[in-house]
Amino acid sequence: MSGFDNFNTDFYQSSYSVDDQNQGGYGYSNTENPYNKPYGQYDYSQPMAYASPGMMPPQQPYTGQIFQPTQTYTPSQSQSMYSSSFDDEPPLLEELGINFDHIWQKTLTVLHPMKVADGSIMNETDLAGPMVFCLAFGATLLLSGKIQFGYVYGISAIGCLGMYCLLNLMSMTGVSFGCVASVLGYCLLPMILLSSFGVLFSLQGMMGVILTAAIIGWCSFSASKIFISALAMDGQQLLVAYPCALLYGVFALISVF
Amino acid sequence: MLDFPNDPNMRLRNSSVDGADGSQLFEDTSGAGSASQAGFPGQSLLSDPMSNLAMAYGSSLATQGREIVDKNLDRFIPISKLKYYFAVDTVYVGKKLGLLVFPYMHENWEVSYQQDTPVAPRFDVNAPDLYIPAMGFITYVLVAGLALGTQNRFSPELLGVQASSALVWLIMEVLAVLLSLYLVTVNTDLTTIDLLAFSGYKYVGMIVGVVAGLLFGRPAYYLSLLWCCAAIFVFMIRTLRLKLLSEAAAEGRLVRGARNQLRMYLTMTIAAAQPIFMYWFTYHLIR
Repeated sequence: MSGFDNFNTDFYQSSYSVDDQNQGGYGYSNTENPYNKPYGQYDYSQPMAYASPGMMPPQQPYTGQIFQPTQTYTPSQSQSMYSSSFDDEPPLLEELGINFDHIWQKTLTVLHPMKVADGSIMNETDLAGPMVFCLAFGATLLLSGKIQFGYVYGISAIGCLGMYCLLNLMSMTGVSFGCVASVLGYCLLPMILLSSFGVLFSLQGMMGVILTAAIIGWCSFSASKIFISALAMDGQQLLVAYPCALLYGVFALISVF
Repeated sequence: MLDFPNDPNMRLRNSSVDGADGSQLFEDTSGAGSASQAGFPGQSLLSDPMSNLAMAYGSSLATQGREIVDKNLDRFIPISKLKYYFAVDTVYVGKKLGLLVFPYMHENWEVSYQQDTPVAPRFDVNAPDLYIPAMGFITYVLVAGLALGTQNRFSPELLGVQASSALVWLIMEVLAVLLSLYLVTVNTDLTTIDLLAFSGYKYVGMIVGVVAGLLFGRPAYYLSLLWCCAAIFVFMIRTLRLKLLSEAAAEGRLVRGARNQLRMYLTMTIAAAQPIFMYWFTYHLIR
């Protein structure tokens, strides 16, 4: 349970700390008496007891009889272990890997394109935020009568794949697919503004064209800024911004036409 | 009647339980294992040692599979060589685009070398790269979609048709050039990827022509296409001359000989094929 100390920075290093000792004691490595889980001894009246009987040392031979519940371990010990494990277990959001604070930080980074980005924020691949933004984009499109979720997903998949290949070829250090998908998803946020604007006003006039161009520029600028700082590429910001602009241009095409 | 030792459900969930140990009268719904932190019921699938083993095996299989893919991919598509062609920066791209549109003032077309290996495109504007052709291809497909859209002839399938036909013609052109280089037995250090890069440079001219045509109408399309065709012709001749012809001929001195003439014709043919393709792929976009 290492993650609880440094909650903010090393958020994702707190994995489900698998209890390796007990793992090692299980069947495939221990040939003597591997399978001795006295299941009949549950005390179902207590919800705490739902936790694993694996807490008990597996070396204990099964000395009970069939169909007769026997106490081969001290319930108090196991229950105290169960209760501590229940209290100490990480909250659901942390287990799922959704950290609202980080999501908010990354959103702010996207919304301020002029501010210099911190390269380390992309170390954790967080796909929850991008998922929310994609769904919000599809929802705003729905509000203007375009049921095009399929196109949104398809284009984002192809675009992420293309960017992944390009960034791996262009940068010194490689990049993982999740990181690319995460960054591109976060920078979709201004596009949501465009499509929600398109619900109320038509985007096909001169003002719509200017607004669309501005928002595409904003999205691709933030995406390229984050990529540049995360991958330490120098002198290539415009080169990274151009394919991002192409991708967001296709999204803008969907919302305008 | 539930048959414990042979019941497949029981065995699956508690496969560690020996058949004789039938101490359960009912299904064990509690977490039977490692997820001590989760503590929720229904973790039994994950915590079961057999499924742990299966997961470990599966993940090692996945890693192995990935390594095999990487190794084989490297055999077909040399990733490290490709990386050389993408080592570009903004200044290089800007200069190269300028060269593609206006090659008349550029003096020195030699690629500089650094101890037998060509210098990365970042440092030498004459070196071929793959960033511009790749971006040019994608932009061409999107601009073609846009042009078709303004004529109300757009559909997403058409985009795919455009993309695949352009790609196929590109590949065929590269293969044709390779074949002719082989037949003429030219001793050159042009690699296939170099040829791909050179063939991809014409997309820049195509995009300029189509965009001009979309913005300003047919006369603008024809004018800009003419300009770009001439520019790419000169660009190709000057670049290929150094690679294909012998030293003496490349410097401009008249060298008689059938081989040199053949090479000269080859260079001219390759350069002349570019404007033809450029026109062929764009005229149906401007109506």
